[in-house]
Amino acid sequence: MDVDIIFKIAAIGILTAIIGQVLKQTGKDEISTLATLAGLIIVLIMVLNLIADLFTSLKTIFNF
Amino acid sequence: MDIIFKIIAIGLITCVATLIVRPVRADFAIIISIVGGLIIIFLIINYLTGIFDIINQILGISGINSGLYTVLLKIIGIGYLIEFTASICADTGNSSLGDKVLLGGKIIIMVMALPIITTILDIIMELLP
Repeated sequence: MDVDIIFKIAAIGILTAIIGQVLKQTGKDEISTLATLAGLIIVLIMVLNLIADLFTSLKTIFNF
Repeated sequence: MDIIFKIIAIGLITCVATLIVRPVRADFAIIISIVGGLIIIFLIINYLTGIFDIINQILGISGINSGLYTVLLKIIGIGYLIEFTASICADTGNSSLGDKVLLGGKIIIMVMALPIITTILDIIMELLP
């Protein structure tokens, strides 16, 4: 749970950027935008899971 | 006691990660800073439960009715959540949105604090002859 998720997100970010550039060079522009979007969505899902955990634990602590 | 070093390490690592990712993908930098903050909060969350249990015992001994305590706890929770979102809004650059979130939080806290104010007034009324 600790630091690895930060590195995972950073890695996904760099990977999507590189894949986007490569696809753009080979001329497939639409696929490169799709690839960057896919990377963004994966990261957002991971962050949403974290935020959901935060809200549930805060609810239990501050007994909302 | 090593938890403080973990927090410092995660803070620095998040800063470096955001610096690395910013030129490549600007939006990921903000996401990484949010995730870093979340991880630090997860580390300290079980300390919070310890603090609130002790406060609960103290209040139990002092005889104040526990209704006030739960409202106080909720207000602290809301205050923290509002500050969390407002600082993220300021990070992403739209500080006006953060101010609106702060305003909303203040109003909700005010609404929750009203019963406390009325109980205090009742107590004062009883004291007066």
